[in-house]
Amino acid sequence: MNQDARHAQFMERIERGEKIEATDWMPDEYRKLLLKLIHMHGVSEIMGAFPEKEWVPKAPTLKRKLAIMAKVQDEMGHGQLLLRVAEDLAAPLGKGREELLDDLLAGRVKFHNVFHMESPTWADAGVIGWLVDGAAIINQAALLDTSYAPYARVLKRICAEESFHMQHGENIILTLARGTKGQRQMLQEAVDRWWESLLFFFGPVEVTPAAQRMIDYRIRIKTNEELRQQFLNKYVPRIRSLGLTIPDPHLRYDEKQKKWLYTQPDWEKFGEIVRYNRGPKSEERIGLRRFAHEEQRWVREAMVRAHKMQAV
Amino acid sequence: MTMEQAAQMGLESGYRQALTALLYQLADDELCLGHRDSEWLGLAPDIEGDVAFSSIAQDEVGHAVFYLERLHELGEKDPDSLAFFRGAEAWRNAVLLEQPNGDWARTILRHFLYDLFDDVRTEALLHSSYEPLAQGVAKIRREEHYHLLHLKPWLIRLARAGGDAQERMEQAVMEVWAQLGGLFSLGAEEEEMIHHGLIAWGREELYRRWEDRAKPVFAEAGLKWPGPPSVPEQDGRRGRHTDHLTELIRTMSEVAVGDPAARW
Amino acid sequence: MADRREYEVFEVFVRKKKTDAHVHVGSLNAPSPDIALTTARENFLRRENAVNLWVVPRGEIHETPCDEGDWFARELDRKYREVSGYSENGRLWKTYRERALYLEEIVQDLHPPSQGNRPRPRRERT
Repeated sequence: MNQDARHAQFMERIERGEKIEATDWMPDEYRKLLLKLIHMHGVSEIMGAFPEKEWVPKAPTLKRKLAIMAKVQDEMGHGQLLLRVAEDLAAPLGKGREELLDDLLAGRVKFHNVFHMESPTWADAGVIGWLVDGAAIINQAALLDTSYAPYARVLKRICAEESFHMQHGENIILTLARGTKGQRQMLQEAVDRWWESLLFFFGPVEVTPAAQRMIDYRIRIKTNEELRQQFLNKYVPRIRSLGLTIPDPHLRYDEKQKKWLYTQPDWEKFGEIVRYNRGPKSEERIGLRRFAHEEQRWVREAMVRAHKMQAV
Repeated sequence: MTMEQAAQMGLESGYRQALTALLYQLADDELCLGHRDSEWLGLAPDIEGDVAFSSIAQDEVGHAVFYLERLHELGEKDPDSLAFFRGAEAWRNAVLLEQPNGDWARTILRHFLYDLFDDVRTEALLHSSYEPLAQGVAKIRREEHYHLLHLKPWLIRLARAGGDAQERMEQAVMEVWAQLGGLFSLGAEEEEMIHHGLIAWGREELYRRWEDRAKPVFAEAGLKWPGPPSVPEQDGRRGRHTDHLTELIRTMSEVAVGDPAARW
Repeated sequence: MADRREYEVFEVFVRKKKTDAHVHVGSLNAPSPDIALTTARENFLRRENAVNLWVVPRGEIHETPCDEGDWFARELDRKYREVSGYSENGRLWKTYRERALYLEEIVQDLHPPSQGNRPRPRRERT
C-alpha cells in the first residue's frame, strides 16, 4: 500500500472515531504532533512539582504537610504516566526516558508558562492548587476523548486524581479567605500574581496551523479560546464570591456575544518565557531537574549494573 | 497534663513521665526523617522512585502524627503546636535523623538502618502496657514492612555496583556510623520505661537485635561491618541537638509562626 | 539489550481482590523486576487496595495486532450460544404455567443481599 492510501485509511479510522494504539501505523505528522504535545505535558507535570515543592517543608499544619506531599507526589506520578506514553511514541525515533529528559535540560522541549513563575507565599501554593490546577484540569478533561488511546487511558487516571487536587487547593484558599486580614491579603496578592499567567496558559486565541492539524487528527477537540472561556465561566464567579478582585478592569461577560471579554495577557512576554526559559524561576527549576537527572545518573547506572551482575 | 488529669486516666506521674518521653522519641524520630525524606520530592534519581520515596515520607509523617495525637491525649499540646512551636531542646529524636540527607547512598543507608531499628523498637512495643501505643504500633509495623522491602535492594545494589556507587556507599557508612549509636538511647527515662512495661527491651537488647539483622544485610551488600557505632556527643533523647534541628524547625514553622493564632 | 545501561519497561498488572483476575494498569521504567514491583505499588496503587501485583518485561508480552480489526471478527449470527437466543423459553413455559429460570435468580437465592452476604466493604488502609 502506498503512503497516500495508508494516510487516507488512517484518516478514515480517525473520522470513524476509532482510537489509535502505539503499535499501529500512523502518519509521521500524527506521531510528531502527539509527541510534542505529550512530551510537553509530561515535563510540565514534572516541572510543575517544583513551585509547590517549595512549600512542602513549610506547610503550616501537619495535615497540610501530608496533603501537599501527596499532591506533589501525584504530579510526579502524572509525569511518569505521560512520559511513558511519550517514550513509546519516541521509541521509533530512537529516544527513551533519558533523552526526553535531556531535551528538557537542553531547552528542546517547553513546559507550561505557569511553572516558570514565582510562588513566594503559602497562598501561592493554594492558588496553584486552586486555579492553576483548575486550568490544567479543564485542559486535560478536554483531551479525554483524544484519538490516541494510550494518552486517553492515562488522562483518565490523571483526571481522577486531579479531583483530589481541586479539593486540596480549594480547602487551602477557603481557609485563607476566611482567615485574618493578613491571610486574605496574601491570597489576593497571589491571585493578582497568577491571573495573567492563567490566561496565557490556554494558548493563543487564534487557531495556529499546528493546532488545526491536531484538531483534524482529533488529538484535541476544543480550541484554546473555548477552554479559556470555560475556565472564566467556572472560576470568575467563584473568585468574586470570596470578595477577591481580579486584576483586570476590562473583564466582563458580554451577554450578546455570550462570552467573556478580557484584557489580553502579554503574549510576547510569556511567549519568550516559555520559548527561551526566561521566566523568573526557569533557570532555578531546570537546575533542580538537572540535579535529579544528571547528578543522580550514577544511581540509575549503578542499579542497572548491579542487577546485571546479579543476573549472570 | 495536670495531676488531676493524670489521676483521671489512672496514670501515676512516674508512668506518665516515662510514657511521654517515649512518645516524644517516637514522634520526633519519624517527623524529622519524614521531613528530610520529603526534601527529595522531585529530585530523586528516577521518577518512579521519586513517587515511591514520597510515599515513605508520608508514612513517616503520618506515624509522627499518630504519636503526637497520643501525646495530646495525655494532656500535651495539640499535634500542630508540638510540631511547629516547640524549641529544639524539647525534641527527643536521635541526632542522626536531623542531619541533612547527603547523597542518595547516604539517604538510603540511613533510612534503611533507621527502619530496621524502628522495626526492632516497635516489636518491643507490641506488648506495651500502654494499650493505645501497642495497638498503634501493630498497624504502623505493617506499613513499615514496605519500607524495608523497598530500601533493602537499593542499598545492596548500590553497594555491590562497584565504582562510584560503592565508594559513595562506603563513605555513607562512615558518616552514618558517627551518629548511629544515638538511635538506641532511650534517654534518661530508660529504666522507668522498662520498669512500667512500656517497652520490652532497653538500649543494649535493642542494639543486639538490630545488629543481628543489620549484619547479614551488610554481608549481602559486600560492605565491611564497621563494628559497634559511636555514640554522638549530643544525645538527642536528652534534648541535646545539632544546629541542623534548629534549622529544620525554623523551616518547618516558617509559615505557621507568621500568625500562630490563625487557622491555616 | 545485553548492554542495556538504561532502565527496562515493565507492564504492570493489578489484582484487586482474590476473586478478580489481574488487570493491566500501565507501565513503568525500572532497573530490575524487584524494584519494578515496589515502585509499581506507589505509582499505581496510591489510593487503591490490591492483593497482588505482576510486573512483566515489555518484551515478554505477545499481543494481537491493534489495527487489524478482523482478528476479532465475529460477524454472523451466534445467538445459539447466548441467553438472548432463547427468548422463546419464557413463552413456552407459560403454557405450563411456569416461567423460564435464569442464573441470576439462582445466585440471588444463594446469596440473598439482605443477609449481609454481599461482599463486605474493604478495610480502609490505615
